[in-house]
Amino acid sequence: MDESRTARLISAVLRCYPVRWRRRHGDEAAELAALLIRDGTPAGSIAWSYLAGAVREWLTPRPGRRLSTVACALLAATCLLGVSAGLLASAGPARAAGTSQARPRAHCRPGSPEPGPAVGRSPVIIGVAGHGRSC
Amino acid sequence: MAVGRRDGGARPDVLRRVGEASVLILISLAGGAKHGYALIQDIKELADVELGPGTLYGALDRLERLGLIESLPAEDRRHPYRITVPGAAALRVHLDAVERVSAAGRLRLQLGGI
Repeated sequence: MDESRTARLISAVLRCYPVRWRRRHGDEAAELAALLIRDGTPAGSIAWSYLAGAVREWLTPRPGRRLSTVACALLAATCLLGVSAGLLASAGPARAAGTSQARPRAHCRPGSPEPGPAVGRSPVIIGVAGHGRSC
Repeated sequence: MAVGRRDGGARPDVLRRVGEASVLILISLAGGAKHGYALIQDIKELADVELGPGTLYGALDRLERLGLIESLPAEDRRHPYRITVPGAAALRVHLDAVERVSAAGRLRLQLGGI
Protein backbone atom coordinates (compact mmCIF):
# COMPACT_ATOMS: atom_id res chain seq x y z
CA MET A 1 0.00 0.00 0.00
CA ASP A 2 1.52 3.38 -0.96
CA GLU A 3 2.00 6.22 1.50
CA SER A 4 -0.91 8.41 0.41
CA ARG A 5 -3.37 5.51 0.46
CA THR A 6 -2.14 4.50 3.91
CA ALA A 7 -2.53 8.05 5.20
CA ARG A 8 -6.04 8.21 3.73
CA LEU A 9 -6.96 4.89 5.37
CA ILE A 10 -5.71 5.98 8.79
CA SER A 11 -7.38 9.36 8.51
CA ALA A 12 -10.67 7.69 7.49
CA VAL A 13 -10.51 5.34 10.47
CA LEU A 14 -9.68 8.20 12.85
CA ARG A 15 -12.79 10.02 11.61
CA CYS A 16 -14.82 7.17 13.16
CA TYR A 17 -13.93 8.44 16.65
CA PRO A 18 -16.12 10.96 18.48
CA VAL A 19 -15.18 14.63 17.90
CA ARG A 20 -14.11 15.05 21.53
CA TRP A 21 -11.60 12.19 21.16
CA ARG A 22 -10.31 13.54 17.81
CA ARG A 23 -9.76 17.00 19.28
CA ARG A 24 -7.69 15.49 22.06
CA HIS A 25 -5.84 12.62 20.39
CA GLY A 26 -6.42 13.01 16.62
CA ASP A 27 -3.12 14.61 15.57
CA GLU A 28 -1.06 12.49 17.92
CA ALA A 29 -2.83 9.31 16.79
CA ALA A 30 -2.09 10.09 13.13
CA GLU A 31 1.55 10.75 13.96
CA LEU A 32 1.77 7.57 16.04
CA ALA A 33 0.35 5.57 13.12
CA ALA A 34 2.97 7.06 10.79
CA LEU A 35 5.75 6.15 13.22
CA LEU A 36 4.48 2.59 13.64
CA ILE A 37 4.17 2.14 9.86
CA ARG A 38 7.73 3.43 9.48
CA ASP A 39 8.81 0.76 12.00
CA GLY A 40 7.21 -1.95 9.86
CA THR A 41 3.80 -2.43 11.51
CA PRO A 42 1.24 -3.25 8.79
CA ALA A 43 -1.12 -0.33 8.10
CA GLY A 44 -4.06 -2.73 8.10
CA SER A 45 -3.44 -3.86 11.67
CA ILE A 46 -3.07 -0.24 12.82
CA ALA A 47 -6.32 0.69 11.08
CA TRP A 48 -8.07 -2.31 12.63
CA SER A 49 -6.82 -1.39 16.10
CA TYR A 50 -8.09 2.18 15.69
CA LEU A 51 -11.41 0.93 14.34
CA ALA A 52 -11.92 -1.38 17.32
CA GLY A 53 -10.90 1.50 19.59
CA ALA A 54 -13.48 3.77 17.93
CA VAL A 55 -16.24 1.22 18.50
CA ARG A 56 -15.23 0.88 22.16
CA GLU A 57 -15.08 4.67 22.47
CA TRP A 58 -18.64 5.09 21.17
CA LEU A 59 -19.98 2.29 23.35
CA THR A 60 -18.30 3.50 26.54
CA PRO A 61 -20.99 5.30 28.52
CA ARG A 62 -20.04 8.89 29.33
CA PRO A 63 -22.05 11.66 30.96
CA GLY A 64 -23.69 13.81 28.34
CA ARG A 65 -23.19 11.34 25.48
CA ARG A 66 -26.61 10.68 24.07
CA LEU A 67 -25.46 8.50 21.17
CA SER A 68 -23.96 5.88 23.47
CA THR A 69 -27.26 5.72 25.29
CA VAL A 70 -29.00 5.23 21.96
CA ALA A 71 -26.46 2.58 20.93
CA CYS A 72 -26.88 0.73 24.23
CA ALA A 73 -30.64 0.93 23.95
CA LEU A 74 -30.50 -0.40 20.37
CA LEU A 75 -28.20 -3.21 21.46
CA ALA A 76 -30.49 -4.11 24.35
CA ALA A 77 -33.56 -3.98 22.07
CA THR A 78 -31.86 -6.22 19.51
CA CYS A 79 -30.90 -8.71 22.21
CA LEU A 80 -34.43 -8.71 23.64
CA LEU A 81 -35.92 -9.16 20.17
CA GLY A 82 -33.54 -12.02 19.48
CA VAL A 83 -34.36 -13.74 22.77
CA SER A 84 -38.10 -13.27 22.21
CA ALA A 85 -37.88 -14.62 18.67
CA GLY A 86 -35.86 -17.58 19.92
CA LEU A 87 -38.40 -18.32 22.66
CA LEU A 88 -41.30 -18.06 20.23
CA ALA A 89 -39.55 -20.30 17.73
CA SER A 90 -38.89 -22.95 20.39
CA ALA A 91 -42.35 -22.63 21.96
CA GLY A 92 -44.24 -22.90 18.64
CA PRO A 93 -43.51 -26.55 17.80
CA ALA A 94 -43.93 -27.59 21.45
CA ARG A 95 -47.37 -25.97 21.60
CA ALA A 96 -48.34 -27.59 18.31
CA ALA A 97 -47.16 -30.99 19.60
CA GLY A 98 -49.08 -30.48 22.84
CA THR A 99 -52.33 -29.85 20.94
CA SER A 100 -51.98 -32.86 18.70
CA GLN A 101 -51.17 -35.15 21.66
CA ALA A 102 -53.99 -33.88 23.88
CA ARG A 103 -56.63 -36.39 22.77
CA PRO A 104 -54.62 -39.62 22.98
CA ARG A 105 -53.74 -38.82 26.59
CA ALA A 106 -57.22 -39.86 27.75
CA HIS A 107 -55.70 -43.10 29.01
CA CYS A 108 -54.05 -41.18 31.79
CA ARG A 109 -57.36 -40.57 33.53
CA PRO A 110 -57.90 -42.68 36.67
CA GLY A 111 -59.60 -45.93 35.83
CA SER A 112 -58.97 -45.79 32.13
CA PRO A 113 -57.59 -48.99 30.69
CA GLU A 114 -53.96 -49.21 29.63
CA PRO A 115 -53.90 -48.78 25.88
CA GLY A 116 -52.22 -51.20 23.53
CA PRO A 117 -49.05 -50.53 21.65
CA ALA A 118 -49.02 -47.02 20.24
CA VAL A 119 -48.77 -47.74 16.60
CA GLY A 120 -47.85 -44.70 14.55
CA ARG A 121 -47.78 -42.46 17.60
CA SER A 122 -44.61 -40.76 18.62
CA PRO A 123 -43.74 -40.84 22.35
CA VAL A 124 -44.19 -37.66 24.35
CA ILE A 125 -41.43 -37.15 26.87
CA ILE A 126 -41.79 -34.08 29.07
CA GLY A 127 -39.73 -33.71 32.18
CA VAL A 128 -39.19 -37.42 32.79
CA ALA A 129 -35.87 -38.97 32.10
CA GLY A 130 -35.53 -42.58 31.10
CA HIS A 131 -39.25 -43.22 30.37
CA GLY A 132 -40.87 -43.44 27.00
CA ARG A 133 -44.21 -42.20 28.22
CA SER A 134 -45.30 -39.69 30.79
CA CYS A 135 -48.45 -38.01 31.96
CA MET B 1 -10.57 -15.61 45.12
CA ALA B 2 -10.33 -12.19 46.76
CA VAL B 3 -6.68 -11.65 45.98
CA GLY B 4 -6.74 -7.89 46.34
CA ARG B 5 -8.39 -7.98 49.75
CA ARG B 6 -6.05 -10.24 51.65
CA ASP B 7 -4.56 -7.21 53.39
CA GLY B 8 -7.71 -6.68 55.41
CA GLY B 9 -9.76 -4.95 52.71
CA ALA B 10 -8.26 -1.52 53.39
CA ARG B 11 -6.76 -1.13 49.91
CA PRO B 12 -8.82 -2.81 47.21
CA ASP B 13 -7.07 -3.78 43.99
CA VAL B 14 -8.61 -1.27 41.56
CA LEU B 15 -6.48 -2.59 38.70
CA ARG B 16 -8.02 -6.06 38.95
CA ARG B 17 -10.59 -5.33 36.27
CA VAL B 18 -8.91 -2.73 34.05
CA GLY B 19 -7.16 -5.17 31.75
CA GLU B 20 -3.59 -6.13 30.98
CA ALA B 21 -2.90 -3.13 28.73
CA SER B 22 -3.68 -0.64 31.50
CA VAL B 23 -1.45 -2.47 33.98
CA LEU B 24 1.41 -2.58 31.46
CA ILE B 25 1.00 1.15 30.78
CA LEU B 26 1.17 1.91 34.50
CA ILE B 27 4.28 -0.26 34.87
CA SER B 28 5.89 1.55 31.95
CA LEU B 29 4.97 4.98 33.34
CA ALA B 30 6.36 3.99 36.75
CA GLY B 31 9.77 4.34 35.07
CA GLY B 32 9.06 7.93 33.98
CA ALA B 33 6.70 10.05 31.86
CA LYS B 34 6.22 8.87 28.25
CA HIS B 35 4.10 9.64 25.18
CA GLY B 36 2.20 7.07 23.12
CA TYR B 37 4.97 5.89 20.81
CA ALA B 38 7.50 5.58 23.67
CA LEU B 39 4.93 3.62 25.68
CA ILE B 40 4.36 1.13 22.85
CA GLN B 41 8.11 0.65 22.39
CA ASP B 42 8.76 0.28 26.12
CA ILE B 43 5.94 -2.24 26.64
CA LYS B 44 7.18 -4.27 23.66
CA GLU B 45 10.63 -4.40 25.24
CA LEU B 46 9.37 -4.91 28.79
CA ALA B 47 6.70 -7.56 28.30
CA ASP B 48 7.01 -8.64 24.64
CA VAL B 49 3.48 -7.33 24.08
CA GLU B 50 2.62 -5.28 21.00
CA LEU B 51 -0.01 -2.82 22.12
CA GLY B 52 -2.28 -1.63 19.31
CA PRO B 53 -2.66 2.16 19.11
CA GLY B 54 -6.44 1.91 19.54
CA THR B 55 -6.00 -0.17 22.69
CA LEU B 56 -3.36 2.27 23.95
CA TYR B 57 -5.55 5.37 23.73
CA GLY B 58 -8.54 3.53 25.23
CA ALA B 59 -6.44 2.43 28.20
CA LEU B 60 -4.87 5.90 28.61
CA ASP B 61 -8.31 7.53 28.71
CA ARG B 62 -9.58 4.98 31.23
CA LEU B 63 -6.54 5.40 33.50
CA GLU B 64 -6.82 9.18 33.30
CA ARG B 65 -10.52 9.04 34.20
CA LEU B 66 -9.62 6.89 37.23
CA GLY B 67 -7.03 9.49 38.24
CA LEU B 68 -4.20 6.95 38.02
CA ILE B 69 -2.27 8.90 35.34
CA GLU B 70 -2.23 12.52 34.20
CA SER B 71 -1.51 14.18 30.89
CA LEU B 72 1.37 16.66 30.77
CA PRO B 73 1.49 19.70 28.46
CA ALA B 74 1.92 18.66 24.80
CA GLU B 75 5.37 18.54 23.20
CA ASP B 76 4.80 19.21 19.49
CA ARG B 77 1.73 17.10 18.91
CA ARG B 78 2.53 14.47 21.53
CA HIS B 79 1.01 14.34 25.00
CA PRO B 80 3.32 12.77 27.56
CA TYR B 81 1.63 10.95 30.43
CA ARG B 82 2.77 10.59 34.01
CA ILE B 83 1.71 8.18 36.75
CA THR B 84 0.00 9.91 39.70
CA VAL B 85 0.50 9.16 43.40
CA PRO B 86 -2.80 7.18 43.59
CA GLY B 87 -1.72 5.40 40.37
CA ALA B 88 1.56 4.31 41.94
CA ALA B 89 -0.27 3.13 45.07
CA ALA B 90 -2.78 1.16 42.97
CA LEU B 91 0.01 -0.42 40.95
CA ARG B 92 1.82 -1.43 44.14
CA VAL B 93 -1.34 -3.08 45.55
CA HIS B 94 -1.94 -4.90 42.24
CA LEU B 95 1.63 -6.14 41.92
CA ASP B 96 1.54 -7.39 45.53
CA ALA B 97 -1.64 -9.31 44.76
CA VAL B 98 -0.16 -10.79 41.57
CA GLU B 99 2.97 -11.76 43.51
CA ARG B 100 0.90 -13.56 46.17
CA VAL B 101 -1.00 -15.55 43.54
CA SER B 102 2.21 -16.31 41.71
CA ALA B 103 3.88 -17.58 44.89
CA ALA B 104 0.85 -19.73 45.73
CA GLY B 105 0.87 -21.17 42.21
CA ARG B 106 4.56 -22.03 42.40
CA LEU B 107 4.09 -23.65 45.80
CA ARG B 108 1.23 -25.79 44.53
CA LEU B 109 3.23 -26.86 41.50
CA GLN B 110 6.08 -27.81 43.83
CA LEU B 111 3.82 -29.70 46.24
CA GLY B 112 2.08 -31.46 43.37
CA GLY B 113 5.43 -32.57 41.99
CA ILE B 114 4.47 -31.34 38.52
